[in-house]
Amino acid sequence: MRTAGATYYLVLRALRESLRQPEVELPNLLIPLFFLAVIVGAINQIAPEAFGVTNYTGFQVPVAMAQAVAGVASVSGIVIVMDIERGYFDKLLLTPAPRIALVLSRLLADAVRSMVIAAVILPIGLAIGSPLETGVAGAVVLLLLMGAFGAAYSGIGMAISLRSGNPQAAQLGVLLFFPLLFLSPAFTPIEVFEPWMRAVAEVNPVTYLLGGMRSLILEGWDAAGLAYAVAAVAGLGAVTVTAAMFALRFRAR
Amino acid sequence: MAVIEAAGLVKEYERGVRALNGIDLSVEEGEIFGFLGQNGSGKSTTIRILTTLLAPTAGAARIAGLDIRRDAGRVRERIGVALQEAGLDDLQTGAELLLLQGRLYGMGGARLRRRVAELLELVDLADDAKRPIRTYSGGMKRRLDLVSALIHAPSIVFLDEPTTGLDPIGREAIWRYIERLNQEDGVTFFLTTQYLEEADRLARRIAILDAGEIVAQGSPAELKAEIGTDVVTVQVAAPEDARRAAEVARGLAGVADVRVTENSAAVYVADGGAAVARIVRLLDDAAAPFASITLAQPTLDDVFLRATGYYLQVDDAGEKRAD
Repeated sequence: MRTAGATYYLVLRALRESLRQPEVELPNLLIPLFFLAVIVGAINQIAPEAFGVTNYTGFQVPVAMAQAVAGVASVSGIVIVMDIERGYFDKLLLTPAPRIALVLSRLLADAVRSMVIAAVILPIGLAIGSPLETGVAGAVVLLLLMGAFGAAYSGIGMAISLRSGNPQAAQLGVLLFFPLLFLSPAFTPIEVFEPWMRAVAEVNPVTYLLGGMRSLILEGWDAAGLAYAVAAVAGLGAVTVTAAMFALRFRAR
Repeated sequence: MAVIEAAGLVKEYERGVRALNGIDLSVEEGEIFGFLGQNGSGKSTTIRILTTLLAPTAGAARIAGLDIRRDAGRVRERIGVALQEAGLDDLQTGAELLLLQGRLYGMGGARLRRRVAELLELVDLADDAKRPIRTYSGGMKRRLDLVSALIHAPSIVFLDEPTTGLDPIGREAIWRYIERLNQEDGVTFFLTTQYLEEADRLARRIAILDAGEIVAQGSPAELKAEIGTDVVTVQVAAPEDARRAAEVARGLAGVADVRVTENSAAVYVADGGAAVARIVRLLDDAAAPFASITLAQPTLDDVFLRATGYYLQVDDAGEKRAD
């Protein structure tokens, strides 16, 4: 069985899971929207004067989208642990399907699911006052960026799940996003950070992801900002997917 | 021709736990081979190694002539496997699970759909094919798991305790499928089991595994014949009475062996009929209490006891314990 064929059928299986239990995705949508509402509600009035952000809703929409995508992309790790526990993962390993297809299919399914949830949040953001300076083309780029980030972030949960086989450990995929988010310019521009926090934020891929997204929403086409965002997602993906592949080798040894 | 061969298989887990201690076996094409042993004896480890899920620490194995390490992918194309836990995805329907399984084996189109329908029919699940697996009973899941191992019509099938936890009717149904596939299609089966009657009924040859080593191997008839004696079993109420009865029986001429369990002493003796009366007399003379005494031809129970020193027992939940 070749990789592409096996990956395709396993992606369909993963997407079917989401369709059959939409309640699993609901918190990934509602929690970021809640944070978006309360953070904008609390800071919107002071944002222009305090740190020069004229449209704080537009400043926060990328945070909500990234947070939702990180939640969605963490589900795969949990599903893999469930598959391991009920023996279904062994059944998949026992087929002649290339083992890389087991990881690739999850990444691709998470990319699709990430784009779907981002496509739900973006119009809500626009409806509550966010601009979108790059228009429809910018929206497409935003969704593609979110798909890529979802796939890259998914590697974290998969690596943890495949290595540990432990449901509690699998939850780490969700929790890890919070330090990444809080150590990035999620709520204020990086220019107002203390030096130590600025140094940390400058090596945090979420900083560049948010920068690229904000440029599309608030400023217009910014090739450098987008290139940094793509590079940050690609770098994150290279690390997490490699870790997931090593974890799969450990699991299947 | 041997289609499953293992030589000197050793498996050591982390912290030095040795699960297998040099397993040698050979299973002929078209054979049903039974692997008997209590929990932790190494049965599942052996199956996981032979099916490429686990790498051995030492030793070698070949499946259909292919090395399990070097040709793992090709080995997986040739075998079907149903592990101890029915490995199913509860969110899929029975038909979806089999279709996906078939596609991962490179099947497709009308051929795959026909094969899925045929297998669902075989295990009486055709009417439930479109129901989510989470709504299936334990027996239905076990049957679906079994046929999912057969989707690509493998010539060698590994079954790890295929009937554990099933009721007698479900067990009988699985036995019939195995016999049918073996007789009609010549499928080779390697099955681990905790049920002696299952091994006795299905297996042409069996191996008894104890603490990671094969302690007896042969056809059920050969193994029973190797005992070479009748078995007189003295049932007692307490362990100390069993030991006392054993001491008394050992004094009898012609006794080949005596094995003590918690509530019995099994006396292996050439002329069991004559020995019963003498054993009763000796027990009376020694004032050794006993509840009953029975005479029987050796069974696989006796073979297992002789080989391992304990009876293999199964409780309702399918858990085994050694007496």
